Amino acid sequence: MKFNRREWLWLASSFGAAQSLGGQSASGQLQPLFVEVPPSASGIAWVHENAMSPSRYLPEALGPGCAFLDFDNDGWMDIFLVNSGPSDFWKPSSPVRNALYKNNRDGTFTEVTEKAGITGGSFGMGVAVGDYDNDGWSDIFVTAYGKSILYKNNHDGTFTDVTEKAALAAPGWTTSAVWFDYDNDGRLDLFVCSFVDYSGVRKLECGNNQIGRNYYCVPRVFKPTASLLYHNNGDGTFTEVSKGTAIAKALGKGLGVVATDINNDGRMDLFVANDTVQNFLFVNRGPGSNGRWNWEEIALQANVGFSESGRPRSGMGVDAADLNGNGWQDLFVANVDHEMFSVYENNKDETFRDAAQGHGVARATRLLSGWGLKYFDYDNDGAVDLFLANGHPDDMIDNYSMQVKYKEPLLLFHQGEDRKLHDVSESAGPAFERYFAARGLAVGDFDNDGALDVLIAVNGGAPVLLKNNAAKGNNWLGLRLEGATCNRDAIGARILWKAGGKLRQRLKNSGGSYLSSHDPREILGLGRATVVDELEIHWPAPSKSADKLTNLPVNRYIRVIEGRATF
Amino acid sequence: MASAIPFFSCILNRDALAGMWKFTLVLILSIGAIAQAQTPQELVQDAIQKQQAGDLEGAVAEYKQFLKLHPEATAIHSNLGAALAGLGRFEEAVPEYKTALRESPALAAARLNLALVYYKMGRIADAARELARVRAEDSENEQAALLLGDCYLRMRREKDVIRVLEPEERKHPDDPAIAYMLGTAWIRDNQVEKGQVLVDRILRNGDSAEAHLMLGSAKMNVADFAGARDEFAKAVALNPNLAEVHVLYAKALVLTGDSDQSSKEFKAELAVDPFNFDSNLQLGATARQEQNYEQANRYFTRALKTRPGDPGVRYQLALIALDEGKPDEARQMLETLVRESPQFTEAHVSLSLVYYRLKRPADGKREREIVQKLTAEAQAKQPGAKAQ
Repeated sequence: MKFNRREWLWLASSFGAAQSLGGQSASGQLQPLFVEVPPSASGIAWVHENAMSPSRYLPEALGPGCAFLDFDNDGWMDIFLVNSGPSDFWKPSSPVRNALYKNNRDGTFTEVTEKAGITGGSFGMGVAVGDYDNDGWSDIFVTAYGKSILYKNNHDGTFTDVTEKAALAAPGWTTSAVWFDYDNDGRLDLFVCSFVDYSGVRKLECGNNQIGRNYYCVPRVFKPTASLLYHNNGDGTFTEVSKGTAIAKALGKGLGVVATDINNDGRMDLFVANDTVQNFLFVNRGPGSNGRWNWEEIALQANVGFSESGRPRSGMGVDAADLNGNGWQDLFVANVDHEMFSVYENNKDETFRDAAQGHGVARATRLLSGWGLKYFDYDNDGAVDLFLANGHPDDMIDNYSMQVKYKEPLLLFHQGEDRKLHDVSESAGPAFERYFAARGLAVGDFDNDGALDVLIAVNGGAPVLLKNNAAKGNNWLGLRLEGATCNRDAIGARILWKAGGKLRQRLKNSGGSYLSSHDPREILGLGRATVVDELEIHWPAPSKSADKLTNLPVNRYIRVIEGRATF
Repeated sequence: MASAIPFFSCILNRDALAGMWKFTLVLILSIGAIAQAQTPQELVQDAIQKQQAGDLEGAVAEYKQFLKLHPEATAIHSNLGAALAGLGRFEEAVPEYKTALRESPALAAARLNLALVYYKMGRIADAARELARVRAEDSENEQAALLLGDCYLRMRREKDVIRVLEPEERKHPDDPAIAYMLGTAWIRDNQVEKGQVLVDRILRNGDSAEAHLMLGSAKMNVADFAGARDEFAKAVALNPNLAEVHVLYAKALVLTGDSDQSSKEFKAELAVDPFNFDSNLQLGATARQEQNYEQANRYFTRALKTRPGDPGVRYQLALIALDEGKPDEARQMLETLVRESPQFTEAHVSLSLVYYRLKRPADGKREREIVQKLTAEAQAKQPGAKAQ
C-alpha cells in the first residue's frame, strides 16, 4: 500500500498519539486528550463578572484566577473561583461573589461559597492556596484591586477573614501570589505581585482606538510598583520584609510568579513576570549581614529579563520545572502577541538560554497572548509537557487586527523522545478548537484517576473544566507530602523516583501559572512501569530528613509524612 | 505615469548618455590627433557603436582595451561606467565614474549617472550627495531634482523633499510624480492639509496607486492602521511596481497584526528594490529571531549598504555575534553603538549581558544601571506618571 505524504503524516501522528499519549478507548477508538466537562455535567454554573464598562478600566481585563484545593480534607479536589467586586470605579447592581465548589466525588460539584464565608468583597484578581499555619488545612489568600483577603480555614467547611489580624492587607493592586518558605524556618511565607499604581489615574484617557471607542490602556502608561514579601511570624501574623531589599528596589508590574530553586542551593528563589517592564529573577542569597534577608535580582544577567533583542516584554504567566530531566529548574514565561513566549533552559550557572525556537513554542505562540500555563506531565509518561491558556487583553482587537483575536485557542505541547516540546493541540480534542478569553489556569486531579485535569478561568465567562483522558495506559503514583519540621505543604521538597529502569526527579515548586493555584499533590508519571522501585523524598530545610521507600504499588495516592519512611 | 522609479531610470540613462557621447566624440578626435596610430580611435568608435547597439559586453571589453593605452581619457572611464551599469555591474561602474569625475569634476552627466548607480545599489545617501552637487552646479536640472526628492523621501528627510520639490511643483503642477512625492512629504511632515490638496489633484485624474499611497500615508500618520492597510492594498493592486508601495503595505500589516502577509510584502518590495532598507531590516530581524543567521546576515548587509552605519542594523549584527558565541565581537560592536547612541536602551541591555558573559561583572553592573536609569526616564514621560 502506498500513502501520499499527508496520509502518511496523519497515520504517523495518530499512531504516535495512541502509543505515547494513551488516548485510546477500550473499543480502540481515539479519544480527545482532554474533554470539556460542561456546566450541566459538573454543576459549576458560576460565571465571572468582568465589570466591562464603556470606560474600559484596566482591572476589568485582567481577572480572574482559579484554584484546585481540598478545603475539607476529604481527599478530593474542590474548586475555588475568584470574582470581581465593588471598587472605586464599579458598583455592582447585583451581588457579585467568588465561588467555592465542593467536590461530590462523582464528577459533579456543589457550590458552598456562602456557607464557607469566602464570598469576597473587593475587586478580586487571583488566589494562592497554602497551609500557612501548618494545621493541615488549606488556607486561601485572594489578591485584588483593592483589599486582598486571607481566609483561614476553620476545619469545618468555613473560613474566617483574618487579613487584618495577620497584617496581610497588601495595598494597591495585587495579582499573583505564592506561598513558600524563603528562610527555611518551616513556615510558609507569602510573596505578592503588585501590578501598577492605579490610584488617581482612573480617569486617565488612553484615547479612542481605531473604532472610536475607549480601550484598555497599555500598562506601559502606568507607574510601576514594588512587589511585597511577607514573613510568617508563626503566630498567625506576618511582617512585610521586602523593605530595604532588592524586592522593594525592583519597580515592576508583576503579573505572574513562581517559587523555585534555580541554583540548587536549597533556598527557594522567585521568578516574576512583569508587564511592559523587564522580568525579575530574585535569587535567595540567605540571611544578610544587615539583619535583612539577602535577595539579588539577576534577571538581566541571567538572560530572562528582556527579549533577545533587549526589549522588555509583556510577561504574564510563568512556570518552572525540570523540563529536560537534568536536575535543574527551567523557566517559562508567556507574553503578548508578536513577542513570543520563552522556554528558558537552565545553564546550571544562574543563567538561562531561550530555547523556544528549538521547541517550536516561539512559532506556535507568535500570535497569542498567554496567561495561565503549566509545565506538567499530562500523560504520565514521565516527561514534562506544557499547557497554555491564551487570550488577548483588548476585547476590541478583532476590529483592527487581521490575525490577532480577543478569544484565542488553548495550546498543548507534548514532550517527545527527542526532549522537544511538540504542539499536539490539533489532536487534543474539540476544546482545543474553541476560543477563550482565558486568564487563570490550575491543574488538579478532580476525579482521582491519577491524570491531572485542567481548570481555566475565563474573563467575563464561565470557567472551563477539562477532564484528562490522555494518561490512560500509563501508570502513576500520587503523593500527598506532609512536612513535620519543614513546612506542612512540603514546598521545596525534592522527589526522586526510580521505575522501569529510569531515575527521575522533581522539585516541589509553588505558584506559577497566572492568578491561580494548583492541586498540591504530586503525581509521578511512570509510563508502563508497574512498580516504583525506589522513592526518595528530600524534605526542605529546616528538615534534614530524606525518606526512602521501596517497591511501591502504582495507580494510587499515598500520604508520605516527613521522617516516617512509611505510607 | 505608472511608476516613479522606472521613469527616472529611463530618462537619466537616455539623456545622460546622449550628452556623454557628444563629449566622448570630441575626446576621440583629440586623442586621434595625438595618437601615432588609428587603432585607439577606431576602438572607441567601435565601442560606442556597440554600446548604442546594446552589445554592452563588447563595449566594456573595447573601452577597457582602450583605457590600457590611454588611462588619462577620463570621458572613456565614464563611458565604461555607463556600459558596466547597463550590465548591472554597479560595483565596477562606481570607480569608473569616480575616476572620470576626479579628473573632470564638472562632468555633470557622469555625476548624474553615478548618482543613479548609487540609487540602484540602494546607497541612497550617496546618491543624494551626488545629486545635490549636480543641483548645486545646475539648479535647473529637473531630473536631478526629481531623483533628489525621491532620495530624500526614502531617507525620511521630509523638509528637504519639500525644499527641493516645492519649486518644481509650481513649474509642473500636473506632474503626478512630483505631486505624489511632495504630497507624501507634506503629510509625513504633518502638513496634512497641503498634502490633501495634492491627493485631491491626483484623485481628479482617476483612481491611481499614487493617490492610494498618499491616503494610506495620511491614515498611518493619524494611527488609522486598518484604513492605511486598505489604501495600501489598493495601491499594490493598481501598481505593484510603485516605489515603496509594498513596504508601506507591509508596515500597515504589521500594525494590524498580519505578520504572515507583511513578510510577503516586505519580500515583494525587495523584488522591486533589493536594497529597500526597511524590508531588509525587518526580514533580517525575523530571520535572526528564527535563528537563521546566514539569511539574516544577508539582509542586514544589504540594509547597511543603503544606510551605512545604521545603529539598528549594527545592533542586530551584534546580536547575531552574541548568538553565535562571539561575545567579544559583540562587545566591540555594542560598545561603539552605545558610545554613539547613549540613549539606545536595548544596546545597553545587550552590552550588560555581554559583560556578564565575559566575566566582567563591574562593567555589567554599570550598564545595567544605565538601563535602569533610561527605563525610569522613559517611564516618567508616560501619561500615568503625570496623572498622579
